[in-house]
Amino acid sequence: MAITNIKNLKEFSTANERFEGAHLLCPGCAHSMIVRELMNATDDNLVIASNTGCLEVSTAVYPYTSWDTSWIHIGFENAATAASCAESMYKARKRKGTLPDPDAPVKFVAFGGDGSTYDIGFQWLSGAMERGHDFTYICLDNENYANTGGQRSSSTPIGAHTSTAQAGSESYGKTQRKKDMVAIMAAHGAPYVAQLSPNKWKIMAKGFQKALETEGPCFINTVSPCTTEWKFDPKDTIHLADLATDTLMFPVYEIINGTELNILYRPKNVIPVEEYLAAQGRYKHLFKPENKHVIERIQKDIDAKWEYLQRREEARV
Amino acid sequence: MSRGVLATEKRGVRELGAEEKVGWDAVPQGVVLNSFDNILKENVSHVKPEDRDYSDFNSYTATVASWRVIKPVYNRDICIDCQNCWVWCPDTSIISRDKQMLGIDYDHCKGCGVCVEVCPTNPKSLLMFGEAQELEDALAMWPEKKKKAK
Amino acid sequence: MAKKFELNEVEVWDGNYATSQALRQAQVDVVAAYPITPSTPIVEGYGAYKANGYVDGEFVMVESEHGAMSGCVGAAAAGGRVATATSSQGFALMTEVLYQASGMRLPIVLCVVNRSLASPLNVRGDHSDMYLGRDSGWINIDAFNAQEAYDLPLCAFKIGEHLDVRLPVMVHQDGFTTSHKAQNVRPLQDEVAYKFVGDYVPVDDMLDFSRPVTHGAQTEEDWHFEHKAKQHKALMDSTKVIDEVFKKFKDLTGREYKRVETYYMDDAEVAIVALGSSVETATLAAKQLREEEGIKAGVVAPRVFRPFPYDLIRDALDKESLKAVCCMDKSAPGGAMGALFNEVSAAAYTTQSRPMITNYIYGLGGRDFSIDEAKRIFKEQKAHADAGHITTPIQQFSGVRGPKLGFFETKRGN
Repeated sequence: MAITNIKNLKEFSTANERFEGAHLLCPGCAHSMIVRELMNATDDNLVIASNTGCLEVSTAVYPYTSWDTSWIHIGFENAATAASCAESMYKARKRKGTLPDPDAPVKFVAFGGDGSTYDIGFQWLSGAMERGHDFTYICLDNENYANTGGQRSSSTPIGAHTSTAQAGSESYGKTQRKKDMVAIMAAHGAPYVAQLSPNKWKIMAKGFQKALETEGPCFINTVSPCTTEWKFDPKDTIHLADLATDTLMFPVYEIINGTELNILYRPKNVIPVEEYLAAQGRYKHLFKPENKHVIERIQKDIDAKWEYLQRREEARV
Repeated sequence: MSRGVLATEKRGVRELGAEEKVGWDAVPQGVVLNSFDNILKENVSHVKPEDRDYSDFNSYTATVASWRVIKPVYNRDICIDCQNCWVWCPDTSIISRDKQMLGIDYDHCKGCGVCVEVCPTNPKSLLMFGEAQELEDALAMWPEKKKKAK
Repeated sequence: MAKKFELNEVEVWDGNYATSQALRQAQVDVVAAYPITPSTPIVEGYGAYKANGYVDGEFVMVESEHGAMSGCVGAAAAGGRVATATSSQGFALMTEVLYQASGMRLPIVLCVVNRSLASPLNVRGDHSDMYLGRDSGWINIDAFNAQEAYDLPLCAFKIGEHLDVRLPVMVHQDGFTTSHKAQNVRPLQDEVAYKFVGDYVPVDDMLDFSRPVTHGAQTEEDWHFEHKAKQHKALMDSTKVIDEVFKKFKDLTGREYKRVETYYMDDAEVAIVALGSSVETATLAAKQLREEEGIKAGVVAPRVFRPFPYDLIRDALDKESLKAVCCMDKSAPGGAMGALFNEVSAAAYTTQSRPMITNYIYGLGGRDFSIDEAKRIFKEQKAHADAGHITTPIQQFSGVRGPKLGFFETKRGN
């Protein structure tokens, strides 16, 4: 596979973009940062499938496409199936000699938001992972159904306000914890699973390259701070991602073959989660005295998860 | 208003929604959009954007400049070509060639301001100004280097 | 290279096995499938060919029927021949993607072994699934027996993949009555069958990187209508290619298919319009009634259910001799007349003769439809004809226990 040189940003910046501007994503959206980085991390041909979601409705609204490579959208739930069965077609045509350019390397990638990954497309993703296709699934995790105005998903963290898990006089927002999708994917025995964040561009680009190079189904959960639904200024997207990784709300790590866990980023100074929560409108209500316990709970969960990850890393099981 | 660097005859030439509304007989079969007008002779990731034959269906040919109320202005004199702005621009609007930052694509920039936030120089090499601000005037009022508050 | 399968001139196959052989001979590139009664043996058969080197394509057993059709769409956009099979609840689960496949103009072949829809759950044959998909933009072809369940998938690839069509095609057969009933089938030899179907011609191929394409774009109010209009035109115009392909198939095999099949209709006074295996039952009844009682009974059967052959139905019914027609719908009508009644009535309204038309709901959940019952229905039509008006409610139920059910009265006659 032909990978782009990502030794440093200068080298990386020589990549020729295959994701075009004048898409309809919100100003400051992290989705497009992540997508650009994936596409720039390789110069192999790409077949990309997208679930319905912000990315899809913003990059392929007739009569415009922002994609300079093969791209397909079918429905909300089935990008993993589209990409994986396009890969099956590739294998069949390679065997039969009907590919237009049989020697050109091709990578198959599926994108989904957390709604389509954690919820409605969960079954399709699980099926594609189990079948062992050579493809990479990337979840653009902004922790809500942002495309439809910010409803809760099973990725929405406890305490967050969404339009269907509202904070109010009787409620502190969502009462359930975020689903651990990375663990679930690792439990499929996938050869490469990771959680990455766009602020750590090099770790993310390396992770993307690793997933693309790895034969078999790979899954990457990427943190995608959502200016519209997390409620922060569009200029602060990377700042929010910094807070996400440095509070360990989003630990950055990989799991190889379902067992070998490597922490890819250890913050020098771990920031208390209040700072991350305070930077977003969706957590504003947690700072009322009656909701203090929720913040404590979130911090406790973070600490426990970090402890768990470190132990897993050490144990190599 | 400047369209920014490396504008081509095709880049950002149409407002979204301003395309000709053709009839059912003239729309493509299966709603398929081709990205380019030509048959590519080499891998597209080896062709610079300004050398590509973008089709009218490519959003490269559309502009979202009207979304902006503030815009980033680029000051070449201070820039160290670190490419932070390039890697984090959500709108493919930082134009870098041969490891050098050349400037901004004002056809596609939405004015989010991320590039300014991630710019590490002192003073910053990118700053936000009102959309109506002339570039020359903006550059003339560039701030001096700030001393770090201890 | 796939091994050749040795075939006798006459084989004894059930409808499912016949269909699986047709898929094998078409050398489908990707079959993405999920098992469901009664279509399961089609994909099992295909799995056996795959396991023993009789096909070169990929066989992807997905996690659901929605996944099966999603996989077919993804694979078809990647520029190769694609097929699958399903029934009933599986068909229902696929429905979302059926519309996407046709809107994206991907020539997938779906072999539907017709079965009822729950609730209550039932595994037997009726046409509920066929009717559920009737507005999904697919070409729908109906096989009435095992031979046709072999012949028509071969035609389906050739029709759907034709450059003037590029639409997905369903080939229906009745669950159990056709799918599990062993009958004599005359297959083509592998190379003859493949030559008839021809090589797949990719269009907007996702694996052709010299021309990157975006599939599945969104269209809002400025554009959606134009795209749907274009798609409908392609479906309506596909009749020309369907007729051509049927003609080529006849030239090759001597077996003739028409978009509307007619039996004993030249001088018919009463007729039954039906789909599926009931066509053979009704035809036998018509033959016997003519011989035994001199009742001039005939049968009309839409071989192609979509695009609905309004022109040929009109022509089949436009005769002075024809007085009464009964449309037989094997699907719970859900608060309306049966679909066949509605379509046929629309076509008959354009005739000079305007025969009387009634509707029977029959055979739900695999309830048997006998020659005797078909004769009774013919005789009832004869009574309408003799009276000069419809003597029963327009819609009745055939073969259901309990008090008579009937809905909607005519204002003509009396």
